[in-house]
Amino acid sequence: MKEKKGTQAVEKPKRRGRGMLYLKKNWQLYVLIILPLLFIFIFKYGAYGGLTIAFKNYKAAKGFAGSDWVGFKIFEKIFTHRDFGRAVKNTLFINLLDLFFSFPAPIILALLLNEVRVKWFKKVTQTLLYLPHFLSWVIIGALAYQLFSLSNGVVNALIANAGGSPIPFLQEDTWWLITYLLIGVWQTMGWGTIIYLAAITSVSPDLYEAARVDGAGRWMQCWHVTLPCIRSTIVTLLIMNLGKLMQGSFERIYALYNAKASEYSTMIPVLVYRWGIEGGKLSEATALGLFQSIIGLILVLLSDFVAKRLGEDGLI
Amino acid sequence: MKNKAFKKLVSVMLIATMAASMVVGCGSKKDDTTTDAPADSAAEETKDDAAAEDTADASSDAAYTDYSAGFPEEVTIQIPVYDRAFEGWNVTDNYYTQWVQKEFGDKYNVNVEYVAIGRGTEVQDYMQMIAAGTAPTIIMHYDMPQAVNYYGEGAMQSLDLDEIAYYAPTYYGNMADTIAKYGSLDGENIFFFAERNPIYYNWVTLIRQDWLDAVGASMPTNLEELNAVAVKWKEAGLGTLGGELPVGSFTMEYPFFNDSYSEEDYAKYLDLNVAPLTWEPTKEYLKNLNKQFNEGLIDPEWYLNTDDAAKKADFVSGNCGTYSFYINSSTDTIDSLLANNPDAKVSCLQFGAGSVDGHNYFYEYPPYGMIMGVNNNATAEQRAALWMFLDWMSQPDNLFFLQNGVEGENYTLNENGVAIQNSDFDGESKLSQNNNKDYWCLVQEVVNYDTEEGTYQYNLNNLAPNGYEYLIEDAYKGAQDNAQYGIVTPIFTKAVQATSEYSADLNALWQEACADLGTCDPAEFDAKYEEYCQEYLDAGYQEILDEKQSYIDEGSFIL
Repeated sequence: MKEKKGTQAVEKPKRRGRGMLYLKKNWQLYVLIILPLLFIFIFKYGAYGGLTIAFKNYKAAKGFAGSDWVGFKIFEKIFTHRDFGRAVKNTLFINLLDLFFSFPAPIILALLLNEVRVKWFKKVTQTLLYLPHFLSWVIIGALAYQLFSLSNGVVNALIANAGGSPIPFLQEDTWWLITYLLIGVWQTMGWGTIIYLAAITSVSPDLYEAARVDGAGRWMQCWHVTLPCIRSTIVTLLIMNLGKLMQGSFERIYALYNAKASEYSTMIPVLVYRWGIEGGKLSEATALGLFQSIIGLILVLLSDFVAKRLGEDGLI
Repeated sequence: MKNKAFKKLVSVMLIATMAASMVVGCGSKKDDTTTDAPADSAAEETKDDAAAEDTADASSDAAYTDYSAGFPEEVTIQIPVYDRAFEGWNVTDNYYTQWVQKEFGDKYNVNVEYVAIGRGTEVQDYMQMIAAGTAPTIIMHYDMPQAVNYYGEGAMQSLDLDEIAYYAPTYYGNMADTIAKYGSLDGENIFFFAERNPIYYNWVTLIRQDWLDAVGASMPTNLEELNAVAVKWKEAGLGTLGGELPVGSFTMEYPFFNDSYSEEDYAKYLDLNVAPLTWEPTKEYLKNLNKQFNEGLIDPEWYLNTDDAAKKADFVSGNCGTYSFYINSSTDTIDSLLANNPDAKVSCLQFGAGSVDGHNYFYEYPPYGMIMGVNNNATAEQRAALWMFLDWMSQPDNLFFLQNGVEGENYTLNENGVAIQNSDFDGESKLSQNNNKDYWCLVQEVVNYDTEEGTYQYNLNNLAPNGYEYLIEDAYKGAQDNAQYGIVTPIFTKAVQATSEYSADLNALWQEACADLGTCDPAEFDAKYEEYCQEYLDAGYQEILDEKQSYIDEGSFIL
């Protein structure tokens, strides 16, 4: 039986036949992928039905099917809402700033880590840098308020001891924004290096050797060998990050929010939470979420298009 | 070969387990299908249809089926219970829920199933359960506007009062007047209630007596004196007054009332869910806050205190000299304070010390406690079982047991027949928090004895930590002296639509405005206040006021 199939494959070396053989040989792997696929279909696509409430006057007790269709009324309502413009502006502004600071940080860090020659030091540093990624934002928020409190925060106590006047790190709009961005860099930087370090390891040592022969120092090797070799990784991640420009982490804002510095914290995810969870207006929250996702999709497609035009592989 | 077989086996097993766990995760609990079958179809219909059907049922079937011998088939009712989450207590399955099942459920063939509701997240919890069609048989809330919101979501069915009277004569006998007066909305009977005979001496403000003594000050009796004390504390380097950012249950403006406000003003502006930013007393409140902040009299970061834990931390650490809370004999506040500051002494701040004229204007409770409605998808049998359950719980013996536990273990009776709790008792029948209140709040909000004296004795024992009886004695006196300053919130007989539409946005704006106005330069206060008021009105408050005004004009409100 087995032999017969084997000879068949040899006799007809067509693409499709080979594919089937491959499938048969590794069927365990293919079966394994069914689960993640199921997950995506059930929890990602399955939930799409719920998006209909963005076009309905959703009443919880009436359910998805029973609520009345209202066309684009909900969208008209949220687009004219007084907080909508501010939220879109803040979301874009803060995410652009965040991208500006948080995106290059892991690349620079990965390049630096790559140059470290003492093994144990590199390992310890990497582990310490990964740690913040595993802290939940609630913990980070609580820590931030402990550290940066005006009256009894450690940082301000140090500043006061050094003769300075206390800085309202979280109590004044501009300072809040700076703290928000810096904490973001601190939290994501270490974890982000993993992909870049992996990309760097795949750079052929021959290239470095050649560069050294040509007289390139450490700096020149970095600039002319490492960076160009990981460029496609950088571009891929950049495209993915551009898709998140309209999002923003709700937990991050919520954990660092306080009423005193609220100028920048009115962002789209906050409005979704306020309307949907706090206010029980699920139609409005869904419509806003849908709007945000569509803009995100457009941004991804656009940046992918631009990247391809610039001669990169792109994402799609 | 062996290796390959092993690989196969492992992958098949792995997939089977994961698939199974996923299926389990996806499936919803539907074990009470016997009673739910008609309920699901009812939920599909619009509320009006369901209501019409109910009344039709009632008129065509005037004589109700008698279930006093028990239901022929088991009926499941789901009873909500606040999950105040503390160690060692299973809120839905414990000595008392088992006792309820044994004494009531088994007798009438009713399965009494308790459903945990987060105390701080109750609205979210309910909304999600309503959306999923899994809300308990009773949908409840302590505050009228939110209860009306649930009704507005179409979650409640209209009630047949004769049905309640038939199945729950004792309960209905206690509550008939209240239900008749407050229970109807848009001309239909929607709500039923728990009884409330309130006490006002469990909400106290502690003040550091040792700090008062240190600066040679006597107990302040009004706001001016209180601020003067704070100035002395500051000069002596002791600490500040406690402060907070009000984020809900808005009553911060009460101390700034005077007798010039009319019932109509109260009807328009009082709402625990929406801060009346544009109202004069609120302006006075903010102005005082601003003054206290700028003169360094309160916690400099008061706007970060949005929950009890933060205020308590300020007090027990010795940073702040005042702290308001619901006192209870098991509170750890004073012990924690003494651990940090062994010399600390506390007194009860005189009632009215926070108000301009020294009168303690306070939120007077309505004559009802819990506001409840019946889930839209509850069947006639479930309703009957529910009324019988309420009636059973209204029987004095049952209620007394739920409130006090087992005699000789949880409590002993004193010479006046008042149950004196043994606070060290740690046996099987240990009471839940607040003397099991979350289980008996369906019929009664506050423990009542026949006489005022009996109620006071009970509460004195229940509220005062050992050795601190004087706090409750002072509070009791303060509450008695100021009894006339209670302000009843008028309620509307129609749902104020604009409130549910805008309250979340307004709450966010209120926090921003309060934090800013409370900390800005006093010279800018008036201009900024005007600005925020305009913004607040534009953000929906004007619509709320207009809608309320129209109801006032047509007389659709009850004082």
